[in-house]
Amino acid sequence: MNRRHFLKISAATAAAMASASMSGTKGEGLFRPATAQAALAPETGSMGAKEITSVCEMCFWRCPIVAKVKNGKLVKIEGNPKSPVNGQRVCARGNSGVQLLYDPDRVKTPLKRVGARGEGKWAKISWDEALDEVAYNMQKVKKKYGPHALAYFDHGASAEFMRGIFKAMGTENYTSEPAFFQCVGPPALAYLKTFGYVTTGTRQYNDMGNAKAMLLVASHIGENVHVSHVREFIEGLENGAKLVVVDPRFSAAANKAHIYLPIRPGTDTALMLAWINYVIKKNLYNKDFVANHCDGFDTLKDAVSEYSLEWAAKICDLKLVDMQEAIELLAKAAPHVNIHPGRHATWYGKGDLGRHQSYAILTALFGAVGVPGGIYFPTPVKKGHAECAEPEDAETADAETSMKDDSPYPFSYIFGTTTRSIIKAILTKDPYPVKLLGVNGVNIIQTIPDPYTTMKAIKELDFIFCEEMMAGETAIWSDIVLPDTVYLERYDGVYTYEGLTPYLTVRQPVVDPMFNVRSPYQIAKGLAERLGIEGYSCESEEELVNEELKKANLTLESLNKQGGIVVYEGKPYRDPKTVKFSTESGKVQLAVEDFEDEDLDPIPKYEPTPAPPKGYTRLVYGRAPMHTFTRTMNNLWLHNEMPENKLWLNDKVAAKLGIKNDEEVILENQDGKRSNPIKVLVTPGIRPDVVFMYHGFGSKSKHLTRAYGKGAADGFLMTNVVEDRFIGADSKRTNFVRIIKNNRVLNIPELAALPREIPRYNSRLA
Amino acid sequence: MEQYAMVIDLNRCVGCHACAVACRAEWQIPVKDGFRRNWVRRLGPARTNSGMSYTFYPGLCNHCDSPPCVDVCPADTVKKTFTCKETGQTKVMEVAATYKDPFTGAVLIDKERCLGCGACADACPYGARYVNPDLADDNSEGKADKCTFCMPRVEAGLQPACVQTCISDARIFGRKDDPEVAKYLKNGAKRLESAHVKIGPNVYYYGKAKDLELLDRLETPQEMPEASLIGKRALFARVGKTIKKGVGIAGIMGLAGSVLGSGEGDDSEG
Repeated sequence: MNRRHFLKISAATAAAMASASMSGTKGEGLFRPATAQAALAPETGSMGAKEITSVCEMCFWRCPIVAKVKNGKLVKIEGNPKSPVNGQRVCARGNSGVQLLYDPDRVKTPLKRVGARGEGKWAKISWDEALDEVAYNMQKVKKKYGPHALAYFDHGASAEFMRGIFKAMGTENYTSEPAFFQCVGPPALAYLKTFGYVTTGTRQYNDMGNAKAMLLVASHIGENVHVSHVREFIEGLENGAKLVVVDPRFSAAANKAHIYLPIRPGTDTALMLAWINYVIKKNLYNKDFVANHCDGFDTLKDAVSEYSLEWAAKICDLKLVDMQEAIELLAKAAPHVNIHPGRHATWYGKGDLGRHQSYAILTALFGAVGVPGGIYFPTPVKKGHAECAEPEDAETADAETSMKDDSPYPFSYIFGTTTRSIIKAILTKDPYPVKLLGVNGVNIIQTIPDPYTTMKAIKELDFIFCEEMMAGETAIWSDIVLPDTVYLERYDGVYTYEGLTPYLTVRQPVVDPMFNVRSPYQIAKGLAERLGIEGYSCESEEELVNEELKKANLTLESLNKQGGIVVYEGKPYRDPKTVKFSTESGKVQLAVEDFEDEDLDPIPKYEPTPAPPKGYTRLVYGRAPMHTFTRTMNNLWLHNEMPENKLWLNDKVAAKLGIKNDEEVILENQDGKRSNPIKVLVTPGIRPDVVFMYHGFGSKSKHLTRAYGKGAADGFLMTNVVEDRFIGADSKRTNFVRIIKNNRVLNIPELAALPREIPRYNSRLA
Repeated sequence: MEQYAMVIDLNRCVGCHACAVACRAEWQIPVKDGFRRNWVRRLGPARTNSGMSYTFYPGLCNHCDSPPCVDVCPADTVKKTFTCKETGQTKVMEVAATYKDPFTGAVLIDKERCLGCGACADACPYGARYVNPDLADDNSEGKADKCTFCMPRVEAGLQPACVQTCISDARIFGRKDDPEVAKYLKNGAKRLESAHVKIGPNVYYYGKAKDLELLDRLETPQEMPEASLIGKRALFARVGKTIKKGVGIAGIMGLAGSVLGSGEGDDSEG
């Protein structure tokens, strides 16, 4: 409060004193109780609210929750006390689900585009009009170009109902989850081929809580928040686990590390291969495990024999003694060592697969599989299948030339059609035209690197529609927007968790749907009726959920009676003597023959990633703990905690450029693309050859009134995309920026000498 | 009965801000500049004498042993009977609109009697209070608000909202002789105190030397809020008390006038 304000009160109070005295209210207290009582409700907080169990969807980790409802209004979200993974805890985002539900910028009714695509001008239409229009266009495009001209980008809880529609229409381009090709695709394939099971996908089976040592390579757990993972990570550390963090940026996890290695970006595989060689040469590997359970050890030994720590120290710009201390520390803790593959693993395109394969190999050499502290086996949880929630007949029509099966990436078919091949097909009509796109739960503009090409592709489409909760980028680029319920307004399928403490739970509505929105199941059902697709016969979502619960001998009612969750016994570990892997030989593949069959390296090789061109620095992004993707930046409470991102800039570089903390700059990438203004965080906690920002900011949709234009969008600085050769995942650390301050272009000085072995990126402009 | 305290274990904290949001949700704190009962500030990465630190300042009211916010409250005092929830013991104290509960040590605000003048907010060296002018009524300019250690929840047998939601169990709440709390205090948990700010805060921070050094360097207040201002609040408070004892109108106006006069003088200087 300022002085003037104080004086104003003083005057008012003096007058009140005078009047009080004159009216003779002696002894009753000068200042009477307030009369405007409405705002002074007794302090009961959320206590006494009606409690409904459900499942969070502020991110895809899906913690069990309890929603607290007072007078029909959701007031608070807490963790489900019966949940073995989070108990009563939810993260900042989980807490903020309340403000997703009540966000004034939600899509409230079906919308039809009236301006240009991307302009965000709409007319309100009825559900009948909206669904008729979507159905008409699907049929028209299918008739004119064939079923494969229909494509579907989806992510999240209830995208599968609409996926069924695309399946039933006969297209193969429906499982193209951008999440895989922009995120965990490389580790998923690397671990699948090494161990025979997916240890890392939507879930990651890493037993950090029981580890004696942990290795994180740029994985920033803590800033990247999935509650059970954070809890296991912290429990591991509290139980005395040693932590090695390899990251060009001093992350929140690095702050907790015993050894922090600020590696030169793009050289992680060099470090890993040198470590693997060191572990073999110094006999630090688990001989029993390798002899009994691994194929290809001799091939591995030969393949890595040239990678010395001395060599890696030069390539990685690390101190040899630190690298040695770190690998000795990890080896000493074996087999209770956790090498966490991280998420958002699509960095450099070439080499992303090999980098993750090298984590898997080191894990195997330490015998850290199926034992406490290592990677573990998921425990399957029984759940049924609701046939009434899908199309009866969903055979995919054969494509003459298939993008899924004839992919230039020999292993992409496992995950679907790659995002990039669909975008390319839209633009080139090769191998066939793609003319209609459905989008559900994906911000197609901000998630997929090189949004300029994506926007160009969208303009080529005959039709694009989306299911959306918020009027973000996807909505403004769509011809029809189908307003989706938020997760607090609907049922979804049954959720099971196959981790250390398996459970089954179910999402259910905690309040009635607001506005004129519909659940994804009802939207799909409405479309199925219009398209003449048989199936989708569940009358309601309750029926669907009960159908899925049958196999677990549960009903919605019986599940709710026991607190909305059933916990099962986990079987994560195996006897090292008898453990079997679901690879062809039943053994861990240290050298992957399937890769060799496709002329790819069976054992990873170090291939240098081009360094920044002179005058530029590498752009790297990561996650902020209070935001999910681009989804939460408009959330009242989360926006309040972090309204914009900042550019992490090395303090020595900043001093040379004359940039001060909190100053605003603009970034320009190697192709001349410029960012929104972004404030600078000047810090010694980042290498001079890299800058960092949290992902998801700089929204381009004016309809997101809080998030619009706040901070910078990393994706809009990504125009150089390198695809990995195994699955076609898109690189996101292959772009370079320089800084513009007060309209002056500032070249970034090079403070760390570049070894001759690492080429420089050859930019058109630089 | 020992006073309630909170320990924040920075080794466990990951800076996720769940505490800040859960508090806002629990008590429906409006989103407006400066409106909050607790907060998280992200500190660093910065160099310290013990290496690089990237840590967090999860802050809240310290429920101090000698709370300056209580002393400066100018609201008329009333007799208030405090009851110990555990023992049933009672104690009568003469309190203004903000007071320190003798049995829990929680510093609380009687919202009905709060004048919204902001003296308490100005007096707090930690910036733990804010005034919500939207709650102004016939007799106030708004209402001061701050962390209550979630006393209504604690009395109902619950943990404070920020403690319950903390995803890494970094917040430990209890009386100072609670074994968990006492263990941290014994192991060297630190308070944000300096040479000139020693008012007995009851929020403790535990962590690595580097993190505590950065926290202390960036967040420990070095001076108490401007003395002349607090003096004025005290004078103002005495006016209120004098009135209650039935001093005549001339005296009242005289005292009030002197407050106004000195206030104006300060303003023009400052």
